[in-house]
Amino acid sequence: MVKMLVPYPENCTGCRFCEMACTIYHDGTINHADARLQVHRRNVKIDFPSVCTNCVSCGEDCCVMHCPVDAIKKENGIVSVDEELCTACGTCVEVCPFGVMRMEEKAFNCDLCGGDPTCVKFCPTKAIVYEEPKPEQYEKIKKLLAPEA
Amino acid sequence: MNMKGYTGRILKVDLTTGHPHVKTFDEKYARKYLGGQGFAVEIVYHEMPAGADALGPDNVLAMAPGAFNGFPIGTGGKSAFAAKSPATGTLAESIMGGSIGMELRHAGYDALEIVGKAESPSYVFIEDDKVEIEDASDLWGKDTRVVPETLKKRHGWDVKVACIGVAGEKLSKIACIDCDDRQAGRAGLGAVMGAKNLKAIVVRGTKDLVPADPNKLLELAYKYQKIYEAAPSFIEDTKYGTGEFLGWINKEKGVFPTRNWQESVFAEREKIDPYYWAPRYVTKNKACFSCTKPCGKLFEVKSGKFTGVAIDGIEYETLYSLGGTCGNADVESVARANEICDVLGMDTISAGVTIGFAMELMQRGIITEKDVGFKCTFDNASEAVPRMCEMMGNRTGFGDLLADGVKVAAKRIGKGSERYAIHTKGLEPPAYDVRGMKGHGLAYMTSTRGACHLRAGFYAPELVGKFWKWEGIDRFSTANKGFMVSQTENFMCVYDSIGLCKFSRGFYLIAKLPELLEAVTGMTFTEEELLKIGERVHNMKGAFNAREGVTRKDWLLPPRILEDPIVDGPSKGHKISIEEMNLMLDDYMKARGWTSEGVPTPEKMKELDIA
Repeated sequence: MVKMLVPYPENCTGCRFCEMACTIYHDGTINHADARLQVHRRNVKIDFPSVCTNCVSCGEDCCVMHCPVDAIKKENGIVSVDEELCTACGTCVEVCPFGVMRMEEKAFNCDLCGGDPTCVKFCPTKAIVYEEPKPEQYEKIKKLLAPEA
Repeated sequence: MNMKGYTGRILKVDLTTGHPHVKTFDEKYARKYLGGQGFAVEIVYHEMPAGADALGPDNVLAMAPGAFNGFPIGTGGKSAFAAKSPATGTLAESIMGGSIGMELRHAGYDALEIVGKAESPSYVFIEDDKVEIEDASDLWGKDTRVVPETLKKRHGWDVKVACIGVAGEKLSKIACIDCDDRQAGRAGLGAVMGAKNLKAIVVRGTKDLVPADPNKLLELAYKYQKIYEAAPSFIEDTKYGTGEFLGWINKEKGVFPTRNWQESVFAEREKIDPYYWAPRYVTKNKACFSCTKPCGKLFEVKSGKFTGVAIDGIEYETLYSLGGTCGNADVESVARANEICDVLGMDTISAGVTIGFAMELMQRGIITEKDVGFKCTFDNASEAVPRMCEMMGNRTGFGDLLADGVKVAAKRIGKGSERYAIHTKGLEPPAYDVRGMKGHGLAYMTSTRGACHLRAGFYAPELVGKFWKWEGIDRFSTANKGFMVSQTENFMCVYDSIGLCKFSRGFYLIAKLPELLEAVTGMTFTEEELLKIGERVHNMKGAFNAREGVTRKDWLLPPRILEDPIVDGPSKGHKISIEEMNLMLDDYMKARGWTSEGVPTPEKMKELDIA
């Protein structure tokens, strides 16, 4: 099994430090909307990190399958976009059921910071862990990442 | 605009005309006030006409994220609200950890200034450059949990909402402003919003924040976080929250005000001590925006008559106000009362102290069960505290009389009740019995917003005995306290302007701030320069208060602290005498370079470049 970003919602305090660390690492600027992971804060009881799970949670590799120009590939569990090929058509964003694929000038997503995820490094409460998920966590993650009602 | 770390813009919204207006500022302004409290205080000081009614259209409500807010610096996500306080008549600022300030920065503004009064219930919706005043008639009367949920459903889950509850609408002088279950609690700023017919501020920002040196910033953030995580205070706060030192303050120091300050040791402390309740009721940790040291606890009651209670708490101050000072040893009842205060939008400190005051009046027969409608007594606290909170927030029955805090309540009740009203400048005191910590008593007086533990934060130096550049501090002595309090006030103004949580002050001190500030803004500062900014901000508040007629005569400690010595525990026999009070005040004025009446001198104003 490949390692992925596994969210532990019971540990998430809602501080959103991971979002800031993510965008400053990738872009040198801070923009929560561009972070490759999002902390969802619903109410006093619920906040959790919705992390890119590199399509493991989806299991369908929708983005890879549907990309009309084959710009998206998946290797060792890491989904990456070839910016040369990407035409920014938005198909991947549309088909991704979990909002993992994002779009600015080109499509982008979490690249696990090359194997040392910044969000994990900064999370003070271990709400995001880079590890091989246990099978039961699949279901939990799937449920959490399901689009908001 | 090529200033890094700042947007360089201030948004002014006039609710009377409905017009937004954007002002710009330059690096000189940023260097002078830093951000956060500095900006907010500057705005209120210069924009509010002298003598304006705190609950009138001329009062100015300012909100500003601190200089670090929005950048990945642990615990650096604080925003400041400021206005003329309806409770104290002074310039009051209240700091919160809700994410509204960060979002405002992403929308492209370093501060928000709200003036005027809307004709009918309204909310301000800011989405980057679009600023609209929307109808809030459907939100009026709704609580601080329903309002954000409704607005998020309307505008999207990513908007940030700061709002008031019913208490703010009903102009309660102890009303607070809520965002993300965190409150700008003190000094009645919620009523300022209510008086402006402003139910909520809703913000969505999509712009980038640009730090001067992103790599350096990330490196520093990581370095400090690792050190932080190993610090004992981090570990204890994360486990038990801010009430972690309750037992120590109560038993070792004997300065935990109990039953409206009649006692200073709470005998039933164990029942409200987080070491008892955290393992039983806390289901997870909660944090302010940008905080890597989560002191918030999700406290859930899952059985019994308080089933369903879920709050971000219980914070140390609330354990005192809705617990100890009301004689309430039922932690579930404290949690319920805390929840009521949160959803109705009331400051828990002020609400609890006011209830404790009413309880003492009933104990002394000044008010009776007939007046109140039920047994509002210390021995019936578990039932009485949540019940009275509800009545105060909604202004029903006797709660209406108490809804404006102890000072107003004592005036309404009369019959000598003023003797038992504990406040300075009209603000109820937090959880430190200053009879056993005299410098902190001075800080209650000199605090520009009334009795407050965080303007100088002087409880820490006195309880621990050392802080910053001092050692061997004796809490029962008055020596040098005037100077030390003036210094720590400047220190705290820096923290509130920079947007750092004061719980980090022992960690970052001032020494670690310049390099962080440089990574964020590119500007270089020395420690002295930062403290000068703190001094400037404090002096502005002092000058504002003097202009509004609040001078030394209004600063004085309440009779209980001056006349009744502590009756029990390790601080037994101590009080602050009138002579000691005056001695400390004289020292303080001298250290500040103010007149003996507490007015900043023209020379001082000139030195600090305050116009």
